[in-house]
Amino acid sequence: MSGAMSKEEGLRFSEVNQEILRTLQAPGRSYWALLSLLFLFVLFAGGVWGYQLRYGLGVAGYHPAGMWGVYLVNFVFWIGIAHSGTLISAILYLFRARWRTGISRAAEAMTIFAVMIAGLFPAFIHLGRPWVFYWIIPYPNQRFLWPDFQSPLMFDVLAVTTYFTVSLLFWYTGLVPDLAAARDRAQGLRRKLYGLFAMGWSGTDRQWHHYGASYLLLAGLATPLVISVHSVVSWDFALAIIPGYHSTIFPPYFVAGAIHSGLAMVLTLLIPLRKIFHFEKIITLDTLEKVAKTTILMGLIVGYAYAVECFIAWYSGNIFEKQSFLFRAFGYYAPLFWIMCFCNAIAPLAFFWRKVRRNIYCLFVIAILINIGMYVERFVIICGSMSHDFVPHAWGIYWPNWVDITITIGSFCLFLFLFMLFAKFLPSVAMAEVKEDAGPPLRRGGVYAR
Amino acid sequence: MRVRPCGEVVFMHGKQGLLAIFMYVDDLFAVLRKFKEQATRIETVYSPLRLREIDEILGKKPSIVRFITLLGGILGGTGMVALAVYAHLSFRLITSGKPVFPRVPWVIVCFEGVILLAVIFSVCAWVLKGRLPRARLAPAYELRFSEDRFGVLVSCTDAEREKVRAILETSGAEEVRDVSW
Repeated sequence: MSGAMSKEEGLRFSEVNQEILRTLQAPGRSYWALLSLLFLFVLFAGGVWGYQLRYGLGVAGYHPAGMWGVYLVNFVFWIGIAHSGTLISAILYLFRARWRTGISRAAEAMTIFAVMIAGLFPAFIHLGRPWVFYWIIPYPNQRFLWPDFQSPLMFDVLAVTTYFTVSLLFWYTGLVPDLAAARDRAQGLRRKLYGLFAMGWSGTDRQWHHYGASYLLLAGLATPLVISVHSVVSWDFALAIIPGYHSTIFPPYFVAGAIHSGLAMVLTLLIPLRKIFHFEKIITLDTLEKVAKTTILMGLIVGYAYAVECFIAWYSGNIFEKQSFLFRAFGYYAPLFWIMCFCNAIAPLAFFWRKVRRNIYCLFVIAILINIGMYVERFVIICGSMSHDFVPHAWGIYWPNWVDITITIGSFCLFLFLFMLFAKFLPSVAMAEVKEDAGPPLRRGGVYAR
Repeated sequence: MRVRPCGEVVFMHGKQGLLAIFMYVDDLFAVLRKFKEQATRIETVYSPLRLREIDEILGKKPSIVRFITLLGGILGGTGMVALAVYAHLSFRLITSGKPVFPRVPWVIVCFEGVILLAVIFSVCAWVLKGRLPRARLAPAYELRFSEDRFGVLVSCTDAEREKVRAILETSGAEEVRDVSW
């Protein structure tokens, strides 16, 4: 038999389809058991949120001065996680970085689930009266009140909803040819469902022509959006006057941090996915190594931002800025500050060694460390700054209690639950792009002819 | 009406031609070039991946999706700014110290509107211009086209049929068959 074969991995076109679509076969008991456990914990966290609704945000440990706590930490963390998906799928697409093809689909899915979960926190969980969340939406009303389009909170609503919509459409656009491939191999109800979402795609020249033009434009439009979203999120803090928040470095600092955490989450999810689905030929060690190299860059940028914050606290001569920084580094939350520095700026430096970059266990452990570090970073910024502002009378310590912690764990469970559904019911690798990367089968010469 | 081996019902509408299935893309390009030279009517080319060479050979113009996307961006930007202006002018609770038309924050509002509507228009454009969604697959469609095979559908009269078939068969087509649609 002759046919198309990928240059590096030695996969023919038909094998690409087989390799990826076999992951859509009926899952085993362990899959359903894990999925059920995650779902049960999500339900439990939902119940705890109901308890919070009944008795108010005070049950989650919110009191002056700590009125912005773990819920907003979660919001910033999940928005950050969402960034790498668009980075990998849009920015690297524009740069023609071919190594992205094996991981782009999963990273995009990660983006969508992370944005969905991020949106839950400011829109519902962190709101005192979530049943009136729609007041933020601009619509004619009897109160003659409109949302303030000058407010960074309004920017947030616009940016996050735009980002979610764009990410979803970009992801879906990429999925359509693969859904058609899944439809063509499936039977029964699955065939109907894949067929419905594939919209009758048949890979004609006309379809590819318009699809290709649109996909490039979507990538071009998503690129500035991804930069803007975390800049907008950073303005929630930077436009306030609280020392530790009020900083012009925040937008690039937040964007770099978001990409840093997102890449770490990509490694955290894809290493097990690669192992479970035997994707070693598609998500190669070279691909993971390139993610690790990008992580070095992001780690250095984040480390530089930490150093600049320290420098500005001293160089500005602003006493409040200085005391805020000293509180971060040596005060109540100091252990978290040093964990953050180690995990985000020091640990990724291990990737300078090739052996570490190419060792799957080291990659996984360092990715987990970065995830922890980036979560802690958001905690240090949001809760640390809020608890120690201008007036000693208003100082106070916030620490999450069982309500915050349960809802936070629930958000992680929801994320894993959605990701597991995605991995088992949708093509988790972009087949058409893997084929494009491999190059078309040629009769005359090349490595494709067998 | 006839029933294909996979069980799919195919309706005859009057047009007829030949479908050739290729394994190698260089064979496909060669036959496309030959048909273009001879001005044979190429109805459709099927491919499991995007090949820009097909657009070049078929002489396709740049996609109109670009202009539709631009239109969406302009509408989105102006629409969002118009909404922000209207909201500010309609607000009944007058607060001091804020400009009536704060242009700087509206850059962000405008930006989000541009991106949002440009993307929505772009996606709608490629779907509709690609003649999607479709309830039924085309009669000429083969399941292998989403996997590893390429196809050319050529319309021809009964008089041309044998000549076209000969070209396709000598160009490396794996299979050539009659199709009506």
